[in-house]
Amino acid sequence: MQALNLDYMVGLVPVLLGYLPLTLGMAAAGMACALILSCLLAVIRVSRLPGLNQAAKLFISFFRGTPLLVQLFLFYYGLPQFLSFLVSINGVTATIMGLTLHFSAYMAESIRAAITGIDRSQTEAAQSIGMTQFQTMRRIILPQATRVATPTLMNYFIDMIKSTSLAFTLGVTELMGATQKEAASSFLYFEAFLVVAVIYWIIVEALSWCQKRLEKRLNRAYQR
Amino acid sequence: MTAFKTLARTLAITSLGLATFMGTATAAQAETLRVGMSGGYYPFTFVDHDKLQGFEVDVMNAIGKQTGDDIQFVTASFSGLAGMLDSGRIDTIANQITITPERQAKYAFSEPYVYDGAQVVVKKGNDSIHGVEDLKGKTVIMNLGSNYETLLKELPYADEINLKTYESNIEQDVALGRADAFVMDRTSAAQVIKDKPLPLQLAGQPFSKIENALPFRDDEKGRAQRDRVNKALDTLRENGELKAISEKWFDSDITEAPQSEGSEKTGSNS
Repeated sequence: MQALNLDYMVGLVPVLLGYLPLTLGMAAAGMACALILSCLLAVIRVSRLPGLNQAAKLFISFFRGTPLLVQLFLFYYGLPQFLSFLVSINGVTATIMGLTLHFSAYMAESIRAAITGIDRSQTEAAQSIGMTQFQTMRRIILPQATRVATPTLMNYFIDMIKSTSLAFTLGVTELMGATQKEAASSFLYFEAFLVVAVIYWIIVEALSWCQKRLEKRLNRAYQR
Repeated sequence: MTAFKTLARTLAITSLGLATFMGTATAAQAETLRVGMSGGYYPFTFVDHDKLQGFEVDVMNAIGKQTGDDIQFVTASFSGLAGMLDSGRIDTIANQITITPERQAKYAFSEPYVYDGAQVVVKKGNDSIHGVEDLKGKTVIMNLGSNYETLLKELPYADEINLKTYESNIEQDVALGRADAFVMDRTSAAQVIKDKPLPLQLAGQPFSKIENALPFRDDEKGRAQRDRVNKALDTLRENGELKAISEKWFDSDITEAPQSEGSEKTGSNS
């Protein structure tokens, strides 16, 4: 049993932290795009818009039914064979797009569940005072659904942060890619992977704290 | 903070839309040689405290100085490199790529710049394996997509070897005793054993000669790049720079073709 090389671990921390903005940035951009796309998908599914509803179903089925890594490879290495302009899309953009498509499929389903979870009487009440369907959705249903969906969406965000580690296969050196390279040159595997594990853990803990605050805020209207 | 800059730039580009993509794509072509490597293959290409270095890095920089090209390194996991070359995201791979008939049919290779041998490596103290002939019934691992897999599969008793390939950390799995041996090139294996804390030892002599070169896409642009690089390699060979780089990393010259050793088989390499 050899002793942990603490000096190496301490020295690695600032190196790896340099990749944190990229990892968090890709996840945040992916989350922002996925939120928009998934809300769109969920609303299409709930309102059963003909044609679009089937397309949304197919989209969700494909992106939920295949691994993210497969999607990334398909998109980044496969598709450019047919659509040559895709070659100019770099690894970071491709990762953000992949995260967006993949996670919006999941998020659409949990947003849909949150929307359908709001009692029908709410819709009826809104429409009885003359709101259009769009107004009902925006003013009455979505604000309530947001509160219900927040914890699951936060879970997807956490998952997304960790999924950025796949970007290294597309040539993007992010947090995990940087760690793998450092470990491959120092051969101090335990030290390197322990440091990166703790970094991921701290990020997620910080997010959980934010989630708690956010939930409290969203619940304010329900506390008497 | 280069990572952050890359991201900021990407976001800016993304927001400008597809038209900008096309624009940057044509602008970026001029005189830049994009070189892919794993950055995880000591001491050919590795990263120590965020600094990409190694034999391949020095060689490519020296080539760039000769051709006047701007060398741009792109690191990706080894399994992603061939895809990047095929899809035109990089121009060549500098990661100890062995010339094989299959690869030769597909790519335009530069002239060889590394001559090496395939080597069996075992855990320190394992004296039951003395070379490739002792691998029957053993678990042997190697890097995914590497040429060593093909070499082992060509052995007459290949079906008696439990062969596994994966992405990285094969050295660690043998040191831990999860696999009996790994196969990689002799020079890096020797260097890893010498410099790194893992308990490993070489098992016997190298069993197949390998020649490494730079693969380019087999089209007009790729072949032109290859010709430029070949000319630079010739110059570096003549002025001794190639030899100096080799001695810096390996204490020996691996860039010179060995004198023919008569009986030894040259394997599948040409």
